[in-house]
Amino acid sequence: MISQLRGLKQVHAGRAFGLLAAIFVLILGVMVALVALDQQRVLEATARLQEETVPEIIRYQRLARNLEQLRQEGERVFAAATPQARQQAMFVVTLVASHPSVLEHKAAAELAQQVETFLGDAMRQMTAGARDSGPVYEEWQRLAERVGLMVDDVSIQGINLATNDLSYVAEAMRLARYKLTAALIVAGLFLAMFVALIRIHLIYPLQRIDRALSTLSVDRPAPEFEPSTMVEIQSVEAAIGELHASLMENEAARHALEKLANRDGLTGLINRRHFMQTADAELMRAQRYERPVTIGMADLDCFKNLNDTYGHAVGDTVLRAFAELVQEVLRQSDLVCRYGGEEFAFLFPESSLDEAQRLAERLRSRCAEYDIRIPDGRLVRVTLSMGLADASDCPIETALRRADEALYQAKRLGRNRVELAAPVEAV
Amino acid sequence: MHRVLHLLAALVLATLLAGTATGAERNLRVAVLDSSPGMAFRDANGELTGFTIGIIRALCEEMRVQCTLLVTTLDSVIEDTASGEFDIAGVSLLETPERRAKVIFAKPYFRSISLWFARPGVQPGAAGIRVSVVRGSAQDRFARSRGWETVGVLTNNELSEPLQAGLAQAAIIPMATALGMMKKEEFRRLGLVSSVMSEPELGGDAAFAISPRRPELKEQMDAALERIRRNGTYDRINSLFLPFRVN
Repeated sequence: MISQLRGLKQVHAGRAFGLLAAIFVLILGVMVALVALDQQRVLEATARLQEETVPEIIRYQRLARNLEQLRQEGERVFAAATPQARQQAMFVVTLVASHPSVLEHKAAAELAQQVETFLGDAMRQMTAGARDSGPVYEEWQRLAERVGLMVDDVSIQGINLATNDLSYVAEAMRLARYKLTAALIVAGLFLAMFVALIRIHLIYPLQRIDRALSTLSVDRPAPEFEPSTMVEIQSVEAAIGELHASLMENEAARHALEKLANRDGLTGLINRRHFMQTADAELMRAQRYERPVTIGMADLDCFKNLNDTYGHAVGDTVLRAFAELVQEVLRQSDLVCRYGGEEFAFLFPESSLDEAQRLAERLRSRCAEYDIRIPDGRLVRVTLSMGLADASDCPIETALRRADEALYQAKRLGRNRVELAAPVEAV
Repeated sequence: MHRVLHLLAALVLATLLAGTATGAERNLRVAVLDSSPGMAFRDANGELTGFTIGIIRALCEEMRVQCTLLVTTLDSVIEDTASGEFDIAGVSLLETPERRAKVIFAKPYFRSISLWFARPGVQPGAAGIRVSVVRGSAQDRFARSRGWETVGVLTNNELSEPLQAGLAQAAIIPMATALGMMKKEEFRRLGLVSSVMSEPELGGDAAFAISPRRPELKEQMDAALERIRRNGTYDRINSLFLPFRVN
């Protein structure tokens, strides 16, 4: 049954288990009906015992009693003290031998007839008198013995009628017991199979689904399920797959939104707000572990002129090109953001002022000789002024202000240069 | 609601009426004979006794009814039972077509045979023989149907009288009566010999008769008879009055 179910591709659990239950009820019903049939046989047999057999037994007992009476009256014929008593006994013998209760049993009727004839003859002989009745009495005793045996036979015949009925009842009861046992075994097997099927096709899949749901995450691949037979389980498993897919979609959308919120739309660099958050955290970390960290502020030189000469579109192109250059030149771990207009902020982790200066110088020089193609095909170049401040010992705002002051210094000293803020003690 | 109350009241009334009706039915008039030796006779104290009397009393007790035993004679018992004067004819009756047309027969309570009593050599139906029978009995009917000359008497007890008086030369006597008569010296002195008459209409099932006005009694009587057969009452009565099982 299980392998048959496995052989099928799609089964409605409700229908499948309903069908199984129906088959079970049907089989059990048939077996109960068979047992009921046996019970009916028992009832009929006991009714027969009551209504037919018992009266029949009574008849046999009565016949036995009458045969015994016949024997006794025969004795009396011989033993009677007076002819009247003898005559009376003989009369009873005649009546018993002719009575329907004796006549209806063939063997008994024959024997009784024999007894009556024998006793009639014996009586005539005795009435005729004189002769020794010894040999006749001996013969009577042999005949009486036969009557005695007949009494036993008739009694047993009667009892046997009940024995027959009772063994029929016992046989039916035994049969009913076998059937009942078989019915119980079948019911047990069916229940066991039912439970096994429910476990295999419903409980185990549900447990798998439970595990899959509790570990469902965008960090893991969509859960894989063994192919299930039950349609209901299949659809739940498919729904879990869909749920995982929509989780992934949501995650992607969240990423996109996050990017929109944290990035500068024009350059693709992180925006000022995100920079401040990230830089603050980085500064805290560096200060806790007493690591060097440097903050920089940069500004494209004479960007207003560029805008005025070529227009804002060219200005945007230049800003985008500069952003690309910055990402190309700086290290992966360095943070840079568009701080506003043509102004950029930097954070150089694990970098002393000197190390940061070398990086900044490299950026400045690369920028100065970097050709930027503007939309009309011409090439333009921009220069960069930058101020750096050590941030390993002060809040981000202080470091930014000092870097800005150094930037101002760089502008004042003729642009296209990197200036360092003075150490804090010297201020 | 009113309808329900009415219905209830009607039911209660019906029950009460049924109760009184049953009370009336609880008393049965049973016709019996008092001069059939062995079967229905009076003992030394004048009390009714015998096999048939014993059985009828046992049946009444088994049916839980009060029975009043009313003595009658065989020649009128069928008519009086048919007319409803008696509820039950507590007399052992062989079933004949005439009787069956007038009364309801209960299940047989014993099986009888009839005996021909005559001087040695006188066969049934012999010419010039008058036969003594009880008037209205199956034996009477049989003898007349054969065209035999009969001398009718009223009771079983009187069957020997025509013989003793020389009015009859033979008698057809039912088994139980014959048993009783054989015990009497004056009957034995007649020197009659008996032979069993094997004609079916003279033997076989003997039953009580029920008035056609009380048909419901048949089922009760049959069930009661079956019960006393099974519980031993029947056998004790049998042993008390007859030398062998007559059932």
